[in-house]
Amino acid sequence: MASAGSGDEKAAAAAMITLISSDNEKFEVTEATATLSQTIRHMIEDGCTDGGVPLPNVTSKILARVIEYCKKHATAAAGEEGSSSSFSDAAFLEVDRAFLEELEEFDDAFLEVDRATLFDLILAANYLDIKGLLNLTCQKVADSVKGKTPEQIREMYNIVNDLTPEEEAEIRRETQWAFE
Amino acid sequence: MDSPQPARRDPAMDPPAAAALMDELVEEVLIRVPPDDPATLVRATLVCKRWCRLIAGASFRRRFRELHPRPPMLGYLYRRRDGTDFVPTSFRLPHAVCEGWSVLDARHGRVLVVDLAELALIVWDPVTDDLRSLPTPWFPLSMGNMVLLCATANCDHRDCRGGPFLVVAAGGFGESHALADIYSSEQGTWSELITEMQHFNGRDRLGTLVRGTLVGNAIYFNYKRSTKILEYELGRQELSIIYLPSAFHSWHIVLMEADDGVLGFATVQDSKLCLWAREAGVDGHVGWAQRRVIELDKLLPVPDCNRSAPLDVYASASPPPFVVAVADGIHVIFLWAGDELFSIHLKSSRVEKIGEFISDVAVVPYMSFCTPVLDMVSTGNEGPKVDASSVSQT
Repeated sequence: MASAGSGDEKAAAAAMITLISSDNEKFEVTEATATLSQTIRHMIEDGCTDGGVPLPNVTSKILARVIEYCKKHATAAAGEEGSSSSFSDAAFLEVDRAFLEELEEFDDAFLEVDRATLFDLILAANYLDIKGLLNLTCQKVADSVKGKTPEQIREMYNIVNDLTPEEEAEIRRETQWAFE
Repeated sequence: MDSPQPARRDPAMDPPAAAALMDELVEEVLIRVPPDDPATLVRATLVCKRWCRLIAGASFRRRFRELHPRPPMLGYLYRRRDGTDFVPTSFRLPHAVCEGWSVLDARHGRVLVVDLAELALIVWDPVTDDLRSLPTPWFPLSMGNMVLLCATANCDHRDCRGGPFLVVAAGGFGESHALADIYSSEQGTWSELITEMQHFNGRDRLGTLVRGTLVGNAIYFNYKRSTKILEYELGRQELSIIYLPSAFHSWHIVLMEADDGVLGFATVQDSKLCLWAREAGVDGHVGWAQRRVIELDKLLPVPDCNRSAPLDVYASASPPPFVVAVADGIHVIFLWAGDELFSIHLKSSRVEKIGEFISDVAVVPYMSFCTPVLDMVSTGNEGPKVDASSVSQT
């Protein structure tokens, strides 16, 4: 970001944060968007964000998705703050409901990704400490194993079965009631 | 998850840290499997050593219970004349109810039964199969009603199934007084009898088709053909009598915990499910208030909704809707209508047909966490290591 200008421009610049992905791509985001990440929030509080925030664990592809999520949810958080105590009439509640529905639709669409991307999002959410995103992505994986056999789960997530036949037989014996 | 790809793409982290993180994230995923679907977790233990070790571990159990504030309802115990069946609504239990056991109550993961052959009281855990026989109480088992509850102070009841418990037995005995007798697992004995004489009438009998209710620090039982409710306060160890609104004399009601933790009751009147609660008015006087009315004819696919439900009809061939049980804490009411058993979820007004219903049986909802416990020995570095504490608990 180039530099010095009028006071207004400085204020605007101060509220922006530059995030740098592992493949060195730069993303300009508002502080409100960036601070959905507790990791970045702490860096801002410690004054460590001058010159951008390098995120060596997150590729530009994943970072773009994470930012997309944070932008949407930062708007939601701001909306909640604005409407919670000062406006309580039905019209505003209606707006809130519509917005929450929209947010749900956004989340559903956001999760329409392949499994490798989903795992990368979980890793990024964990590294950046974004609770909502971690919950959303982990829940998606948890829902995907519902009703699946161990073989199906291994196949879906490319997991090698390292249990010996004896161990497997032992676990099956101890948990027989669940397979009857 | 176990896919090696994301971990390899993590150059900034040294390998041990990445391994720890990955375990943490697998756990993060698996604790989100819904608690009312224990079979998925059991099957997941067979995926690989790591998943097995994580799911059977103490940390998983603790985090699972932290994330899910209340144990789910796994099903209900259905008391017939000569025994008890467990009917799963989400999951069948690891251990079956023994022949000839008659269920009295279930709470905090454990079940109180009478062995009909031996006439002995048993506290049983259907998840761990832990079984404890109680000494014979002072009075005949058929004369009252009993409640089983956790005795751990300030317990959140998420993982107290192996802890101390109390059984509160109460009834109207003889012509002159109401009695309560308390069994403490810590002391291994029944208490001295506690009596209440002031309000007692020789004809008073506690209802036995519906179990007693725990609300706050007190147990409540309702009387048949009366407006009386017997209260046993656990702290003061005192019995007292409170009264229903006079309009409910001889009416079939089921006591329950209302939303805000006060005593309430559910009943059906004029095809409406009515929820009442005992609350203090502006003058400080405690009285009953109707909190909610749910029109049943819009929810239940049965023709009998327009009839009312006085107590005596409970045994008739074609009964009107009855409340038969309340699953406290999860806001589910069991309703008997047209020989079928329904559950009504109060929060969503969702109605489900969950079974047949025959008159003269009792329904006791069963709520519990049921996460896999593996007794198997350690199988090497990556093997499913199970610590001693996880063997006997869930």
